[in-house]
Amino acid sequence: MSTGNQVRIGPFEILQPIERVAPSLRERENENLPGRLFIVEGIDGSGKSTQLTLLHKWLESKGYGAVFSEWNSSPLVKDTTKLGKKKMLTPATFSLIHATDFADRTEKSILPLLKAGAVVLCDRYIYTAFARDVARGIDRQWVRDLYDFAVTPTVAFYFRVPLETAIGRLVAARDGFKFYEAGLDLGLSDDPAESFRLFQGRILAEYERMIPEFGLTVIDATLPVEVQQAQVRQIAKTHLERAKELRVRP
Amino acid sequence: MRKTYGKTLPGMKLTDLAGKLIVVEGTDGAGRTTQINRLKPWLEELGHAVLDTGMTRSPLAGEGIRRAKEGNNLGRVTQSLFYATDFVDRLENEIVPALRAGFVVLTDRYIYSMMARAIVRGMDAEWIRKLFSLALVPDAVFYLRIGIDELIPRVIFSRGFDYWESGMDVFPGKDMYESFRSYQSALLAEFDRLSVEFNFETVDASADADIVFAQLKAKVQRILEADSRKDFITTLRAPTAAPAAHRVEERAVFIPRAGTATETEAVFHPVAAHVTAPMGWDPNRQK
Repeated sequence: MSTGNQVRIGPFEILQPIERVAPSLRERENENLPGRLFIVEGIDGSGKSTQLTLLHKWLESKGYGAVFSEWNSSPLVKDTTKLGKKKMLTPATFSLIHATDFADRTEKSILPLLKAGAVVLCDRYIYTAFARDVARGIDRQWVRDLYDFAVTPTVAFYFRVPLETAIGRLVAARDGFKFYEAGLDLGLSDDPAESFRLFQGRILAEYERMIPEFGLTVIDATLPVEVQQAQVRQIAKTHLERAKELRVRP
Repeated sequence: MRKTYGKTLPGMKLTDLAGKLIVVEGTDGAGRTTQINRLKPWLEELGHAVLDTGMTRSPLAGEGIRRAKEGNNLGRVTQSLFYATDFVDRLENEIVPALRAGFVVLTDRYIYSMMARAIVRGMDAEWIRKLFSLALVPDAVFYLRIGIDELIPRVIFSRGFDYWESGMDVFPGKDMYESFRSYQSALLAEFDRLSVEFNFETVDASADADIVFAQLKAKVQRILEADSRKDFITTLRAPTAAPAAHRVEERAVFIPRAGTATETEAVFHPVAAHVTAPMGWDPNRQK
């Protein structure tokens, strides 16, 4: 040990590592969680939220205890995110504040619920962070390492839709784009609509790359809602049947 | 050019960060804040512009972390990431701009405290290192080290035991004294390990505050002087390809010999290290 000169390093009885109070992040990966985690991903306007709501209805009708967890919804981090969205976030702090939010939800709700045997439904998951952060210039590997603590989903549905279709749906549904949603922090274009198009294009390219990387289950989001939902339920069903101890709705 | 621990944040240029990044690390109660509060006016008196910063002081996340801690409601992963958010906000918006403007940045704790806290809580050591690979490598890390038995009276007779400083989230069920002892000992052990990995300069913080201050001043001075000396030397057209055996001549001063008119007839006078070198000057630092 390099102690410098004339410095007394105290008694060494303290150099024993303490007993681990919790499993490391990696160990958890191998834990067999009794619950099921279904997540939906896709760009804005892909229709993923609609599909998840319909899946929830179906799960309830089948008697499963299903719980929603929304992206960016931790009460602990809420005020900080709100503060940051007053345009004081850089790509790095944008990434970290969302990771903090996700960590809080993982520790307080997603993981305990899965341990308890619930079906957990997430509208957006770590892949949203990977796509958005990389589109903002964050290192691809760094952000993947950052989310190493996340539970791997049972099924990650990716609602694939061409950019023009998604934009068409959004323009019909609302007026104007939010600052960060349109990637206006990146200075791609002064025109919000054009910036949105460029930014979502980058995100789309990242999703495409992640399909093989993470084995995302692709659903063609240009198909009728009912057809997509039938596919989603079919896939979910196979994973529910194999589950041993899922909770039923009280 | 400055270095990071592996990753560079988007938009961050590592050139022209001429200031000095000086880290004061150590466990709770080691006297970091006291020392920084003395170092800052001292440096300013010497004419240096100083930025002092520290954990949870970011405008973005500082308040959020404080509120979350009040609720004793912060999981270990969330904790690490919340602190990382606070750190990166200060790194991008305070530390880097200050270094670019030539400030001496004194930081009360850096990534090492966050690493130690996470590792003690059972987090993956590699994960936390990757997370903070975006941090700048500082010019020096002064580790104020104090043993657990000297630390306890300091805490008891000043602010008393605190939930987080006692690591009550790590050792639920223990009383505050027992928990404090176990937690701070574990932190200390982790700091000792990190001190080797990250080349901390250890200062015995159980000594009188004046003595610690004197030691820190000498160390800071050495960093600042090593730097100005380097600039001085490069302006002096010293021979660049001198063999290692003649290293003393690399620091020679160019003096035209009396009566010579041209540069070619001049000689290099070796300058004895003890005459011109500032205290603590180490010629090997220039390599």
